[in-house]
Amino acid sequence: MKHLLQALSLPARPRTLAANGTSGKVAPLFRPDRKFNRDEQESELIVQNLNVHIKDQHILKNIHLTIPDKKITCVIGPSGCGKSTLLKTFNRLIDSIEEVRVSGKVLLNGTDIVSSGGSEIIHLRRAMGLISQKPCPLPMSIFDNIAYGCRIHGIRGRKKLRLVAQHYLEAAGLWEEVKDRLNTPATRLSIGQQQRLCLARSLAVEPRFILADEATSALDPISSKIIEELFIKLKENYSIVMVTHTLRQALRIADNVIFMYLGEVIETGPADKVFNNPEHKLTKKYLSGVFS
Amino acid sequence: MMLARVAKDKAAGGIMFTLTLLSMVLVVVMGVGLYLKSAPVLAEYSLGDLLLSSSWKPMRGEFGFLPFVMGTIWVTVIAIAMAVPVSLLTAIYLTEYARPAIRKYVFPALDILAALPSVIYGVWGTLLIVPFISERLAPRFVEFSTGYTMLAGGIVLGVMILPLLVSLFIELITSVPGELREASISLGATRWQTTKKVVVRNVFPGLMAAVVLAVSRALGETIAVLMVCGNLPEIPRSIFDACYPIPALIANNYGEMLSLPRYEAALMFAALLLFIVVLLFNLISRVILYRIEKTFF
Amino acid sequence: MKLKFAEEKFFKILMIGATMTVLAFVVSIIYSILSKGWGAMSWDMIFKLPGGGFYIGKEGGFLNAIAGSLYIVGASAALGLLVSIPVVFYLNIYLKRRSRLAYVARIAYDVLFGIPSIVYGAFGFTIMIYFGLKTSLLGGIIVITLLIIPIFIRSMDEVARQLPREIIDASYSLGATRLETIRVALRQIAPGIATATLLSVGRAIGDAAGVMFTAGYTDSIPTSLSQPAATLPLAVFFQLSSPIKEVQDRAYAAALVLTIIVLLLSILGRYITNRFSKHKLK
Repeated sequence: MKHLLQALSLPARPRTLAANGTSGKVAPLFRPDRKFNRDEQESELIVQNLNVHIKDQHILKNIHLTIPDKKITCVIGPSGCGKSTLLKTFNRLIDSIEEVRVSGKVLLNGTDIVSSGGSEIIHLRRAMGLISQKPCPLPMSIFDNIAYGCRIHGIRGRKKLRLVAQHYLEAAGLWEEVKDRLNTPATRLSIGQQQRLCLARSLAVEPRFILADEATSALDPISSKIIEELFIKLKENYSIVMVTHTLRQALRIADNVIFMYLGEVIETGPADKVFNNPEHKLTKKYLSGVFS
Repeated sequence: MMLARVAKDKAAGGIMFTLTLLSMVLVVVMGVGLYLKSAPVLAEYSLGDLLLSSSWKPMRGEFGFLPFVMGTIWVTVIAIAMAVPVSLLTAIYLTEYARPAIRKYVFPALDILAALPSVIYGVWGTLLIVPFISERLAPRFVEFSTGYTMLAGGIVLGVMILPLLVSLFIELITSVPGELREASISLGATRWQTTKKVVVRNVFPGLMAAVVLAVSRALGETIAVLMVCGNLPEIPRSIFDACYPIPALIANNYGEMLSLPRYEAALMFAALLLFIVVLLFNLISRVILYRIEKTFF
Repeated sequence: MKLKFAEEKFFKILMIGATMTVLAFVVSIIYSILSKGWGAMSWDMIFKLPGGGFYIGKEGGFLNAIAGSLYIVGASAALGLLVSIPVVFYLNIYLKRRSRLAYVARIAYDVLFGIPSIVYGAFGFTIMIYFGLKTSLLGGIIVITLLIIPIFIRSMDEVARQLPREIIDASYSLGATRLETIRVALRQIAPGIATATLLSVGRAIGDAAGVMFTAGYTDSIPTSLSQPAATLPLAVFFQLSSPIKEVQDRAYAAALVLTIIVLLLSILGRYITNRFSKHKLK
């Protein structure tokens, strides 16, 4: 257990507070600030020979991947190709699917995610912030949505929590819009605001990765754009894995691209290369819109 | 800190698992408990004697359950025969025909019907149904009837199971996908034809299961029936005769039964009988309903 | 060709007739209880214990039955919630959706729910004999608790199954344990739980067959668990079987009180679901 803790180099509580103490100001998130530059250590995600079966279906087949640190990696491919299942394997939400079998390895700094158990999973999920397709605010106030994650990880005190909330709401570009109504139910926000709230909520438990499962597909164009811009800012500090259906979105923001088809990784590499000079026939077809 | 949280999570899981198991096991414990209590009677008389003899003289040690079994069956048959058509038609009307405004008034009414305690139904039965039978209905067919009859029991029971049947039927009918209806309507079928040939046929096993469930509810209903059906331990010959269903038998005699050990055992046997029949009926219908739920969702 | 339209019309009339019949039953039951009960109603009925000669038509009320019913149902509901809330969340959060145990458990609760209260009463009676208990408040509480648990579990399970998967996943992905996630889930479905509780309590308070064996009947308000307790449904039942008109009238008054309690619980339950769903995802 200690092993994984070290591997993930997770602070017992958010660095912002640990570094600045209770009364100090929270360092702004996006300034390349040493205190917040979370770790010098690289944190790649390495997938080795991953296979996932659900019931009798082979959903993911022999996946080999490397997801680089502090980059935006877009996973593209037609629906049903296993993109979401891949993400769920990364944060072990796959556990709640019925009759699922996972084999192979997903290594985070040398620790295997697939075989971890008990409290390791809790650490892991904390390290993997999830933004789902449909924003899903927890049934509580805006403030409590942010504070919830911090509270369960042992941060107490309204003052402290308020600082954290403000910090991450600012990070998600939501603070100005909600600062006067922190105690209203989160469900009253617009859907675009809800998605940013979910982002802030994920950031508040100090993850290293952000897993976004078609995070903009339910949003209007303006809200999507805001989220995209946030992601570009956030990649300074976080590694972002984003499943997307819109090729144009991948073109706009991806550093790396993974193309999947029927449960297999067909092609992977830097965005430039995959988009402009795809190696594989299927990738070409997909990019030219023959199938989608 | 982290370990404590995981430990708490696990401990809570253990406690919850135990509670779940304990509450489930209640079914078994109940069956065994009733069986042990009725063992003296079962040891002394054969099952056939108990169920097929019609002589009920506890003081002389004669325990023939036939009048009670017949009373139960008849009252239930009357109730089902009246409630099923009415509730099926109502359910079809509410789901396939009625405007939302109408549903807005009928659903709360059904809720009221479902919420009323059975003793209230009993009061209603003695106030309205019993006099109606003895003064209006019975004189046309038989010379004399007190009104406290099998028919009264059946009617009261039928009204009691209406809300259950209607809500089960509605659930089943709405589970039929809309495309099926549209396909049939676009072929030129009328709405009733569509309902009859597509909707009802599709959920037919479910409808049967719902009826079985309602039967098991009717079998065990005590107070309301006890209040209106006369309670004479004889096999009823017409619907204008009094009858004596099993639950009423148990409820009426609990006071005296302790005086005779075999009497107590006999009444516990009655409870066991009820328990087994209701258990079987429930199991069958629930399993069918679960299957249907799975195929449609 | 004409036939099918005639058939359509015929069945439509039949269906409207059936629906009207159902409504007529509701109106007739409520009307008969109201009209009979109202005439016999007085403050004495609700606030006085039975006096001497109460059962031959002299003064007094049925406060004993009201108090007994509230004691029994209050205690049973509290005990029942202690068991059923953990069970419901175990089924819906700890167990997977298609878990074998959950399937068997749900069938078991359905069966328990279907078992008639007279059987619960008989079973409770055997337990009491086994432990040497006499008819008492405690006996009534035991039986009604057993009776109310499946009602609670089934109605709350229905609510809990509506829990959006996304909320659970969102909580997990923040690193919450299952136990911590239950708290989030509880907030989401609290109004539903409250409604389910009130409706179940409404069912339990009207049950007569279960308490008949076990709680007994008495003219005073019980002051300890081992004393017998009167209940409203039995007050209706016993007084109605009296040949004296004044006593029968009191049965109607008691029936009216019982009906009002049950309907209030039902209305309150539905109001809560409609009113307090502010956090709910739409």
